[in-house]
Order: sequence, then C-alpha cells, then structure tokens
Amino acid sequence: MTAALAIRPAATPFDAEPRFAAAGLGFALSLAVTLAAAAIDPRLFQGDNIWLKPIKFQIALTIFFLTLAFFARWLPAGMTERRAWRVFASLVVAATVAEMTWIAGAAMAGTASHFNQETPLAANLYRLMGGLAVFFTSATLVMGVAIWRDRASPLPPALRLAVGLGLVLTFALTLPTAGTLSQMPGHFVGTPVTGAALPVFGWSREVGDLRTAHFLATHAMHFLPLAGLAAVLALPGRLAKPAVWLAATGYVALVAWAFTTALAGLPLIA
Amino acid sequence: MSPDILFQFSSPLALFGWAALLAAPLAPALADRVAGLVVPALLSVAYAALILAFWWDAPGGFDSLAAVQALFTDPRIALAGWLHYLAFDLLVGAWEVRTARREGFPYLLLVPCLVLTFLFGPAGFLAFLGLRLARRATRPMEATR
Repeated sequence: MTAALAIRPAATPFDAEPRFAAAGLGFALSLAVTLAAAAIDPRLFQGDNIWLKPIKFQIALTIFFLTLAFFARWLPAGMTERRAWRVFASLVVAATVAEMTWIAGAAMAGTASHFNQETPLAANLYRLMGGLAVFFTSATLVMGVAIWRDRASPLPPALRLAVGLGLVLTFALTLPTAGTLSQMPGHFVGTPVTGAALPVFGWSREVGDLRTAHFLATHAMHFLPLAGLAAVLALPGRLAKPAVWLAATGYVALVAWAFTTALAGLPLIA
Repeated sequence: MSPDILFQFSSPLALFGWAALLAAPLAPALADRVAGLVVPALLSVAYAALILAFWWDAPGGFDSLAAVQALFTDPRIALAGWLHYLAFDLLVGAWEVRTARREGFPYLLLVPCLVLTFLFGPAGFLAFLGLRLARRATRPMEATR
C-alpha cells in the first residue's frame, strides 16, 4: 500500500476523476505528434496548415477533460465510484478518442472531416461523429445536474449554483449552436470570404462565423463558475445567488447575440 | 522542415543514444533513460509525424515486395522507415544492456553485440541471444533469471 502510494505523483487538482484527467493529459501529450506533423507537412486546408484543425481540437479536448476532472471533486459523494458512472465516463473518453481519430484521419487523408458530403462514407461518418459529439458533451449535463442538486455539497450555495449552471449551460447552449453549425454547408455565413480573420481563433472578420457562438456556448462551464467565485468573494451572501442568475442570463444573451449575428451573415468583430 | 533536414538531425540523435549505451557501466540509470526512452521517443514522434503527413499519398503498400519497394521510393516514407530502424535498433540495444547488467553478462562480450546491433540490427540481437545462451549453458551453477 505504502509502496503503491510512494510511486504515485503528488496529488493534483484533477484526482477526483482519473479517467478524465488521464484523457486530458493524453490529448495534451498527443500534441507532440500533430505539432511535429504541422512542421513538416506542406499541405493546406482552406488556407491553413492542414494540422491546425486537429491541433485546435486536441487543445479543446485537453481543456474540456481537465475542467471536468477538476469539477468532479464536487460531484455527490460516492458518485464516481458507481459502476454506471465509470461506464459512462469511459464511454465519454472513448467517444472523444473516436472523434479525434476521425479529425486527424481526415487531415492525414487531406480531406474535410466536418461538412464532408463527398462520399457516402464521409457523410455517414460526419453524421455519426455529430451523434458522438452530443454524447460526450452530455458529460457536462450529467455532472452539472449532479453538482447542482447535491445539498450536501461543501461549496457555498451560490458557487454550487454557478458550477452546476455553467456545466448545464455548456450542454444546453452547445447543442443548438453546434447543432445548427453542423447542418450548414460550412461555418461561414455570407460572402465574400477573402480570408480576413482574428488571430489565434481564426474567426472571420468579414462574414458570419458560427464557430464563435459554439466557442462561447461551450465555455459557459468556465465563465459561470468564475463569475460565481467572484460573486461569492465580492458580494454579501444574499446577493450572490441572484448575481449568478444575472450572469447566467447575460451569458445566454451573449451567446444568442453571437449566434443570431453569425446567422445574419455578420462578423462579431470587424 | 524538409526530410533531408530531419535526416541530418536524426543520425546524431541516434548516435548519442548508442554512445550512452557504450558508456552504460559509468552511468547505468542515465543510459537506460537516454537510450531506452528519450531518444527512441523523440525518433518516434518524428516517425509518427511523417506517417501522419505523408502516408496517405505514398505509393506502394505492404502486400508484395514490389509494393514495399515502391513505398520506399518516396523519400519521406524512406526517412520514416529509417527512423523506424534507428528507434527500434536502439531500443534493442538498450534491452541488451539492461539484460547484460541483470545477468552479469560481461561488458567485453556485450560491446561487439551492441556494435552489430547498431550496424545490422537483427544480426546483433541474434549474436547477443547466442552468446547469452552459450554462456548460460556452459555455466550451469550460476543463478539464471
């Protein structure tokens, strides 16, 4: 026992759900290979290095899993030991691995992953991966509801609300934004696309870009807990919860604005 | 980065690993880590990147000798194949060093096996297995693990 403990690394903030922590670390480590591939592969896809998209998804999945592993400590006591949870968590990780394999495989083949309708196989894979994406994002819903409803939680009520609500909103807002995005022919709405884009994110500065709404929607699980933390630290107790609700309402409005602006074919930041 | 530049980096890297193995009696733990882990891992990253980037458009395949030859007419795939040799030969060398240390196999017998493994991979592996077997068979009283 002591020997087993001795070879373990020091406790980390991600220990409460080791599957998610390992998945996050694994996606981060896998960047070594795709970054090296980006350095040697001259191929471009829609004007960018063909490995840019897999790299973005690896970074996103790293953040996704480390966030879930971090919040997992506030799941109701005993929940992560339950068999149903362990199966669910493993399937979530498996779904993201399938998703990443598909995206990297498409880059390898020099073709599109998302929006690819060129062959029946590509179109069916795209549909399947959409389903898997909804499934693995549901981890935020499951965790959010569980944390929200846990009356025995050690968190201050307003912070518990913020964490739970943030996770639930990630699912509830990502579903319509990413779902609509997936039904379009591509992530741009409008013409002409000459290539003017924001640095790092790559969002269009000349036409509507639905990826912004997807990004904001999915980051509800970061924004709201931080807003909740600020509210708990800065406001008197009875105001903290209303402040969280206000922040949530404002964030939903922000996502809705980004979404409708993109659908109208307009850039958020010109 | 072009395949030629990658090639120029890979050979000194592998040589560094082999040098560590030759110096293993002086710094066993360091040699294990360098030749059995770090250098093969770096070569493997480069290999995997080459496969991700260039495999799809490569000619040939695995199903016939002619197909394998065609595969290696692509310089980028030939480089990947070369890195594969470098990485795995070094891993075999590192295994020989660890096994020799554990079993008390003499360093002076190990060195020719390492040289042969470095130059002609499987031949060196075979030499090590042969010498190890011969030594074991002729020294029955020694504890073998």
